[in-house]
Amino acid sequence: MKGWMGSLLEVDLESKSTKTIELSREVLLKYVGGRGLGVYYMNAKIDPKVNPLSKENPIIFATGPLTGTIAPSSSRCTAISKSPLTKTIFDSNAGGNFGNAIKQAGLDAIVVKGRSSRPVILIIDDGEVSIESGDGYWGMKTSETIKALKKDYGREFEIACIGPAGENGIYFANIRCSHENFFGRGGLGAVMGSKNLKAIIVRGNRKVEVHDQEELIKLMRKCIDRLKINPLTGKALPRFGTRFLTKIINNSNALPALNFKLRSWNKANELSGEVFRQYIISRSSCPGCPIACKNTTKINGVEVHGPEYESVWALGVNCGLSSLKHLAEAIRLCDELGLDTISMGGAIACLMEMSERGVIEEKIEWGSGEAIIKLIKCTVQRKGLGKLLSLGSARMAEKLGRKELSMTVKRLELPAYDPRELFGMALAYATSNRGGCHLRAYMTSMEVLGLPILIDKKTIIGKAELVAVNQNFLAIVDSLITCKFAALELDDEILSHILSSVTGIKFDRGMLMKIGERIWNLERMFNLKAGISPEEDTLPSRLLKEVPLKEMLEAYYQIRGWDRNGIPLKSKLEELQLLGEMTGIEG
Amino acid sequence: MKARNEAWKIFRLYGRKLTEKGYVAGHGGNLSIRFGNKMFITRHGCTLEDVKLEDVIEIEIESETSFDAISSTETVVHREIYRQTQNLAVMHAHTPYAIAISFFTETLKPIDAEARHILREVPIVEGRAGSKELAMRVASALKEHHAVIVRGHGTFAASQTMELAYRLLCMVEKSAQQIYLTEILKKLGLKFIEPREI
Repeated sequence: MKGWMGSLLEVDLESKSTKTIELSREVLLKYVGGRGLGVYYMNAKIDPKVNPLSKENPIIFATGPLTGTIAPSSSRCTAISKSPLTKTIFDSNAGGNFGNAIKQAGLDAIVVKGRSSRPVILIIDDGEVSIESGDGYWGMKTSETIKALKKDYGREFEIACIGPAGENGIYFANIRCSHENFFGRGGLGAVMGSKNLKAIIVRGNRKVEVHDQEELIKLMRKCIDRLKINPLTGKALPRFGTRFLTKIINNSNALPALNFKLRSWNKANELSGEVFRQYIISRSSCPGCPIACKNTTKINGVEVHGPEYESVWALGVNCGLSSLKHLAEAIRLCDELGLDTISMGGAIACLMEMSERGVIEEKIEWGSGEAIIKLIKCTVQRKGLGKLLSLGSARMAEKLGRKELSMTVKRLELPAYDPRELFGMALAYATSNRGGCHLRAYMTSMEVLGLPILIDKKTIIGKAELVAVNQNFLAIVDSLITCKFAALELDDEILSHILSSVTGIKFDRGMLMKIGERIWNLERMFNLKAGISPEEDTLPSRLLKEVPLKEMLEAYYQIRGWDRNGIPLKSKLEELQLLGEMTGIEG
Repeated sequence: MKARNEAWKIFRLYGRKLTEKGYVAGHGGNLSIRFGNKMFITRHGCTLEDVKLEDVIEIEIESETSFDAISSTETVVHREIYRQTQNLAVMHAHTPYAIAISFFTETLKPIDAEARHILREVPIVEGRAGSKELAMRVASALKEHHAVIVRGHGTFAASQTMELAYRLLCMVEKSAQQIYLTEILKKLGLKFIEPREI
């Protein structure tokens, strides 16, 4: 089949064995790739009750049929596993060239199982697989690791690696791939660390076959035109990076500050896109992306990738920090140590409020840059208060007896959009299959940005329907895989044409949305079996009292075809061909 | 906030008028007013039929800002008009007759006396919506003219007030309609008699 390479590589770090598995047409048509393929694998092969940091929990790196083609903004890869932070199924996707390299090595996905007794590097060299000692790299920071591996193995290798946070099993450790890209959320770096897997390096020379290259070029041109015209993808993102959001979200009264005590911040303009723009020293893009949102800034001698809006918010606004110098250093530190900035910021903000309320004896002032930097370092070393922070905000707050001060959903720290102002976002947070995440439905696009149309942010009418549709849509976007920024402009119709031209199989928008719905339901089933109760479809009490969640949730369950307790009905599972869905990977 | 509210009232009024005339539909068209070094402009994707306060976006004229992300796709054109001309209000609508005529001519030359006197002629330019190239062409044309048509896209009219911009835009559209009707009558074999000044 065109578009896919047709193979999945299974690596067992314990037995040091590898196996290449042919992916069946049926599985690829039902789950497409990326997130869908990973979710399928997890359901088919893994006990949902698995301990996320045990050798039985695999980590999967999956590409989509568009990866490695000229389809715009599609050089992406998804990492999937069970998260140590949320205990849910978890996917996190990253840009850069890592996904392309997997395809060029002749694979659609890599599954790493087991645990090595010593640190190792997994090497995939155009189909040849080897496992080598990673002792020499263990303890290195992420950029050091990438530099050293490129020096030792060759510059053309693409690398996904962990930093000291992943090695130490910090629940929100991330995975860095290339200098600018991260599998950021959910602690998948800790899963790699639990396997003593420091890095995966990949290169290859194969080409992804495309069914109708001429048609794909035509569609690509159409997409580029659309992306250039759209004020967000054509102007704001390339000019300001994601930080253009700071002023807009603050202006909408939806920028949570000081651990969500406030919903806008009078110093937000000091962290705006306009301010950071003065410090940009270089701009770049993922391969084949016409948006080019990436940039590097240098602030007070500190060079930092981006920083992205969410990082600026989490370690800045949410912790009351407006000093650019300290903020840049805090973000750089997280990148180097391999920590998710949103979760780190959320946990520190929670601890700051604990301090303010006298729950802990230590005084940690809002906005203290020195304190934030020190706490980040302590977290990775699990020293002092870092021991608490390393658990993530939810477990830390529970341990301190103040569960309500943790701004999390399903233990994942909430990002930079206040659900008290954005009711669609509130429902999206509550029902997210991976916890408090903005990227499952990104209702901000409609509730604030007006894409494709501005809707009333504080009504509940239509929100359940829109959240479900957007969740399904982004599930397929994550499976193709296309960047979510591009998906703000490129709808299911043009994406279905692109997929058809790449694979030679006729897809339409209805088929894509059905696949998205199937993936969403399969994730839900995994979580239910893992013991994630529907009662966790909620918000922190501070936020919940201002959001009519119950009504939206009832409508949402109905629209989803789930029972009133949030369990998918048999009829829905039948409709989605999910009954008895446990085979299909032939090996 | 007061200025924004005032802009909102104007956008509501003229957004409705344009809709009633059939010059905009759905999320087509955009309006802006200059206010010192800033301008108020309609939001990307809003409907002029029912402009809401949150659809009024305040942005800088000289530099791009974060809010460009949510302002009209044609912000770049409005900004360039304010940079290059003395106009204080800009209106853009997808006027059907002007669009139709734009496919067949390089310049719209009004045939009725009043429009000829006021508009003289209306240049027709080309360019991709929201592009810098289009912005330069439209702004350049508006240095010499009251209005300009973008081929296959619509009319931009600019003036000192929104009311004047509206009248100019209506005049352009009426002229295009008159040309259309005249050409049909010619095709039907009727003899065209040039008006004479007696």
